[in-house]
Amino acid sequence: MPIHRIHLSRRRLMAGSAAAAAFAVTGSPAIVRAQAKEVVVGGAASMAPWVNGTFASAFQDKYKCKLTFEGTRSLVNLEKMQKNKDKQYLSVVMMDDPVMILAVQEGLLEKLTPAAIPNLAKTRPEAIDMDGMWANYLQPWQGVAVNAKALPSGVATWAELYDAKYKGRLVLPSLQNTEGLANLVMAAHLETGKPFAQAQFDIDAGFKKIKALKPNILTIYTQIPQAFNLLEQGEAWAIPSAFSSVVLPREKEAPIKMYVPKEGIFVGPAGIALVKGGPAPELAKALINEMLSADMQARLQPETYAFPSNVDAPAPPGIPAGTPVINLDWQFVAKERGEWVKRWDREMAI
Amino acid sequence: MTKALSPWRDPVALLAAPAVLYLLALYALPLVWLLAKSFSGPAGLTLAPYAEFFADPFNWRVVANTLSIALWVTLVCLLIGYPASFALARAGAALQIAMLVAIILPLSVGVVVKAFAWQIVLRRDGVVSQLLVGLGIWDEPQRLLFTETGLVLGAANIFLPFMILPIYSVVKLIDPRLDEAGATLGATPIYRFLRVTLPLSLPGVVSGVAFVFSMSVSMYVIPSLLIGDRFQTLSTLTGRSFLFMRNEQLGSTTAVILLALAVSIVVGSGRLARRLGGSA
Repeated sequence: MPIHRIHLSRRRLMAGSAAAAAFAVTGSPAIVRAQAKEVVVGGAASMAPWVNGTFASAFQDKYKCKLTFEGTRSLVNLEKMQKNKDKQYLSVVMMDDPVMILAVQEGLLEKLTPAAIPNLAKTRPEAIDMDGMWANYLQPWQGVAVNAKALPSGVATWAELYDAKYKGRLVLPSLQNTEGLANLVMAAHLETGKPFAQAQFDIDAGFKKIKALKPNILTIYTQIPQAFNLLEQGEAWAIPSAFSSVVLPREKEAPIKMYVPKEGIFVGPAGIALVKGGPAPELAKALINEMLSADMQARLQPETYAFPSNVDAPAPPGIPAGTPVINLDWQFVAKERGEWVKRWDREMAI
Repeated sequence: MTKALSPWRDPVALLAAPAVLYLLALYALPLVWLLAKSFSGPAGLTLAPYAEFFADPFNWRVVANTLSIALWVTLVCLLIGYPASFALARAGAALQIAMLVAIILPLSVGVVVKAFAWQIVLRRDGVVSQLLVGLGIWDEPQRLLFTETGLVLGAANIFLPFMILPIYSVVKLIDPRLDEAGATLGATPIYRFLRVTLPLSLPGVVSGVAFVFSMSVSMYVIPSLLIGDRFQTLSTLTGRSFLFMRNEQLGSTTAVILLALAVSIVVGSGRLARRLGGSA
């Protein structure tokens, strides 16, 4: 019996592949539809472990789809949306509030509504920004990080940090850093006695008060590793307004501890938004809804060390019930921050 | 007699082409862009950014900070590096190799790593503080970290090789018999140094000063880590303008001022050295 050998040249192989692909597209639309069930999310590189892990696993199982996460800087995500304005490939973005404001100004985001995203109704009102252009999901909270050996009983209040016993022992974040603004707002509150909702707009009072902190300042940082190196080594005793996402993972490895002062904690900007004209809009809305759910926020809390925005989600361990939670008005911050930084340089310099 | 070819016609000059193209693309063109940006306003060419910069007393303080730190670092490097260069040049072969390794090897360690190491050394309980307390100079431990003294010490350590090596390369060419000749003619050691050795070593000093000053006037990482945000220099202001404030015009203006200061000091010191050398 003759044996027919099939000679498969590279050209034939390519032609065969093309024919197979054409058949898949024209003859098997179900396959194509299945492939199109993908949602691409742009976020911060530091989020990748929990987005690709706990969150992606639960979301993909529930919606039988593929979640692709592109981790980079918020400004890079903004640029991706700007460059692809006519044909977006990102469906959802997770960025800092100041960058969200820029995205809104450029018309890159679509408003979130409770009809499309039911969990929006369960989100703290102050965590919904610009009338629903984006919402905060898990927000890193800010208290006072201390060196546990130098201050074994911790720090009870923000006001206490002005005491002379802290001379040369505090490390403050620069106003260039997102977390740095909390100190200025707290200073305004301490100076005026006004509630935070009002004090945050009285920045003159904040500058007046915070100048009294100068003798206690060891340095002002822009690089977080440098600040924590000083705290862990004991040269610095406390970092007011440090982020929980930075301090809490380090507590197991170094003699540092996060404290919740009596006046309250700040919650940082961590927004999630729908890209206008992005692909798979229904899946994107489902993803945002999932991220705003109490169940998902509770599940992600141990990994993100953040404060939930859903009112039904439990507060993170270590935060006493009734602790005031302070949100800043990031639109106001975005408008004024450049001038504050200039003023900070002039008034807080050595 | 063969006539030397003009550099434009000499084919050997083509060997420099890759370096020229590289510098043109990555240094000269961005520099031109920087200059253009600093002089451009909404209505065309303008000096307004410079007028605005110098009208602000804070900016004068930034310029003063930049210059004073750079001068102190250069002075400390010169005071330590000049005698060290002579020790290196006059040492025996084995010791010279050991000394050269000790000077060159730290260059392989990154600036960030060194600056972090200095953070530990300059702490309240760091080596420097303990030493000064041990010697009875200080009554109690003090912190040098985040002080101007600490910045000068740290920066001088990092830039010292750039002072020693140019001076060493000149000093090793000075014939030691010149000094002996001066001695036989009755010149005192100080007179011999001032009239013979110093003038001959000045080209190395000028190169070393130019290297160290230009690097310390524009240093960015070292002040960020050793003195922090409360002590602004022109380079930190430039970085902030571009990276945070997104104010390209202010960043370009401060960068051009920084460049002008560095170039004028380096060129001026070169001319001064040549004059001193010529009159010696």
